[in-house]
Amino acid sequence: MTTSPKLDVRALDVRYGRVSAVRGLDLAVPPGSICAIIGPARSGKTSLLRTINLLSLEIDGAEVDGRILVDGEDILRPDTDRARLRRRIGMVFATPQPLPGSIRDNLVYGPRLAGVHGQARLAALVESSLRAAQLWDEVKDRLDLSAFALSGGQQQRLCLARTIALDPEIVLLDEPCSGLDPISTLKIEETMRALRSRFTWVLVTNNTKQAARVSDRTAFLLGGELVEEAPTAQLFTAPRDPRTGDYVEGRFG
Amino acid sequence: MIARRRRPLAPRTAQVLASAALWGTMAAAIAILIAILVFVLGQGLPHVGWTFLSRAPLESGRAGGVMPILAGTLEVTGLGIAAAAPLGIGTAVYLVEYTRDGPLTRIIRFGTDCLAGVPSIIFGLFGFVLFVITFGLGWSILAGAVTLAFMTLPTIIRTSEEALRAVPASYREVSLSLGAGKWQTIRKVVLPAAAPGILTGLVLGLGRAIGETAAVIFTAGSSLPHVVPTSLLEGTRTLSVHFYQLAREGISTEKAYATAAVLVLAISLINVASYAAMNRFMRRYR
Repeated sequence: MTTSPKLDVRALDVRYGRVSAVRGLDLAVPPGSICAIIGPARSGKTSLLRTINLLSLEIDGAEVDGRILVDGEDILRPDTDRARLRRRIGMVFATPQPLPGSIRDNLVYGPRLAGVHGQARLAALVESSLRAAQLWDEVKDRLDLSAFALSGGQQQRLCLARTIALDPEIVLLDEPCSGLDPISTLKIEETMRALRSRFTWVLVTNNTKQAARVSDRTAFLLGGELVEEAPTAQLFTAPRDPRTGDYVEGRFG
Repeated sequence: MIARRRRPLAPRTAQVLASAALWGTMAAAIAILIAILVFVLGQGLPHVGWTFLSRAPLESGRAGGVMPILAGTLEVTGLGIAAAAPLGIGTAVYLVEYTRDGPLTRIIRFGTDCLAGVPSIIFGLFGFVLFVITFGLGWSILAGAVTLAFMTLPTIIRTSEEALRAVPASYREVSLSLGAGKWQTIRKVVLPAAAPGILTGLVLGLGRAIGETAAVIFTAGSSLPHVVPTSLLEGTRTLSVHFYQLAREGISTEKAYATAAVLVLAISLINVASYAAMNRFMRRYR
């Protein structure tokens, strides 16, 4: 018996005006797992990710067809409460994006908007989310320091902690380690592994080795279409489609 | 035949020349500024004293001070900026956050640019016809303030717009991705990040308004106040109008320069105070 997917993308099309970024894409992600999405530039990875939390609709002016089911409920329906949805589906961007303000300000921004109040509750939330992102020991004595004073790797872990602080159901990561040092990359991957069962993770990455290291399943996108989706070990060792094999072995892309 | 080309300068020589030329332009600009300040303050400051600042003018300004004039100036410009700021900032927020670039925004932007280029005496004439005559406000602080608000509006809109556009798009995306709504994002992230630029626009507008002569002479009037104006429907004379009258009518050169010095000092004080306030705010925010 299989569990029903946490996230179920069905026949998704994403267009920007006349430019089609994603075409007829189907992808199911089981709860409590890590799904890696790999593919060369312009394969639609980021468009897919930004559509799952509806940012592409709101910011980029994307037009969307198809369905995206979260727990069986279609989030592309126009009556979706976007703010509520984004608390359930968190996102970490490709470059570290702290908001101006202190480390603490960054962490409590989302929870405050979600209605979490009280110094004690917020302080506990700050500590637990920083611990989860493996940043607590480095910043616990300087929570009021500007978030911009942290190193790039620390900033990215802060962004991950900020997402975790909202206790989302799904975490979207858009090439989160593309500009990071190996130690920070390692810590982010450890965080993902440690919290694998608590959230459902969707990781877009340009680094096929990272996909192989951390993910349970991997999807390979090319030109806006899904080429292949399989358990990670299988996709890397015995791909069904020759293009997948070429890509993961670095013969193109 | 080979065309003769001028031999290019050696890179190091070009570098030295460029920095010398740029230093020269900077020095010339600063020198002009200092020359004006030294001249005005040098001529005026010796005649500025506590009596000048605290007394009402006597004998058409030949004697006495500028207290009611200073107060009237601050009332007219303060009220004008207070009216223009929410309008201008609101317009800029709408243009940047709620519209995509299109014909409508281009028309609005073109309109504000044209408005910014309209000579102030035209604003004065417009204010005179509309507020003083049609609305029956007479020569009054209110009519002057509204006219100044109209005049400073384009500056405030354009500088606020630039400041809002300079806020990285990623701030908005991050805020939305953390479950903030559009307005929450604007209020809690975008506006604070744009605040220094917006304040610069307000200070520029205030500077233009406080030194304005032509727009207020028709709307706030030029009659000498003898007490601090307490009603918005009273007329007043602003410092620059006072200076103009004293100098033009040959009433008193000393008092004219003293008035100019007070005007220059008032503008400088406002600038310093706003940037100090902004620094405090930014320290808390960063």
